[in-house]
Amino acid sequence: VAKTSLTSPPWPEVKLPDPVEEAKYHAEVVQKVNGLISAGHYGRLFAVVHFASKQWKITSEDLIMMDNVLEAECGDRIRMEKVLLVGADDFTLIGRPLLGKELVRVEATVIEKTESWPKVNMRFWRRHNYQRKRIIANPQTVLRINTIEIYPCLS
Amino acid sequence: MVVLSAARWVRSRLSDRFWRVQEVLKYARHFRGRKNRCYKLAVKSVRRAFVRSTKARREKKRFLRALWITRIEAASLEHGLKYPAFISNLLKSQVELNRKVLADLAIYEPKTFKSLAALAQRRRQEGFLAALGDGKEPEGIFSRIVHHH
Repeated sequence: VAKTSLTSPPWPEVKLPDPVEEAKYHAEVVQKVNGLISAGHYGRLFAVVHFASKQWKITSEDLIMMDNVLEAECGDRIRMEKVLLVGADDFTLIGRPLLGKELVRVEATVIEKTESWPKVNMRFWRRHNYQRKRIIANPQTVLRINTIEIYPCLS
Repeated sequence: MVVLSAARWVRSRLSDRFWRVQEVLKYARHFRGRKNRCYKLAVKSVRRAFVRSTKARREKKRFLRALWITRIEAASLEHGLKYPAFISNLLKSQVELNRKVLADLAIYEPKTFKSLAALAQRRRQEGFLAALGDGKEPEGIFSRIVHHH
């Protein structure tokens, strides 16, 4: 039968690779990455952590400032558990959505607990003799990320 | 004799007028023109500046999100994906990174962003294949070619 413009669909045909071969390839890659992690062939690690209802991209020796109070004294070590992504130069570990606790360990110390600079909140309606002025100073906490460690427990 | 109330001809006079005026002028010192020196003009300008800063604090969030979306769109187009395809496929593969972090990764970690784009592309193709099905016509439906005998 002759080929017309309607013989094949207009979108490009895509073939997925063979699942068996893919499984072998995946196992190989996982073993390689495990080997790299256990041998320690990575430089600086960065991680994406979900903390204080925000996501942060952090490395070691990093300073983080949160706009709220943390119930920990200055100098306390904190372990951040909700890690979404960890990466180095050659490999990245993407969590779906989180990575396991036995895989990554992110440690931080509370450095400072202060208030923010006094922000002025003002409302004004012209010709209505209405103005309200309020000064807000939010409490802030400063954390220093000490270390990010990964352990070779991939499967 | 005990005096319980002050005498009628004593009035209280303002003694800290200078500091009350300075409280307003200190916020106007970096303005342009006479409103950084003259109190009457400064009061109006400082009031408008405060009101604008409160409103801007709410709009900053919208503005930053639009900026992140533009950056992610640019980065994903470099890898051959459009922004809605990228974001929807990332969410379908249960990767819950927000736009701020994705924009930072696109700037500072190009290899990681490339791997995320590849993940989204693969999930997109799997979605298409799942939607297309087997490629056969469903049974019990009137075929397109009508035979007249």
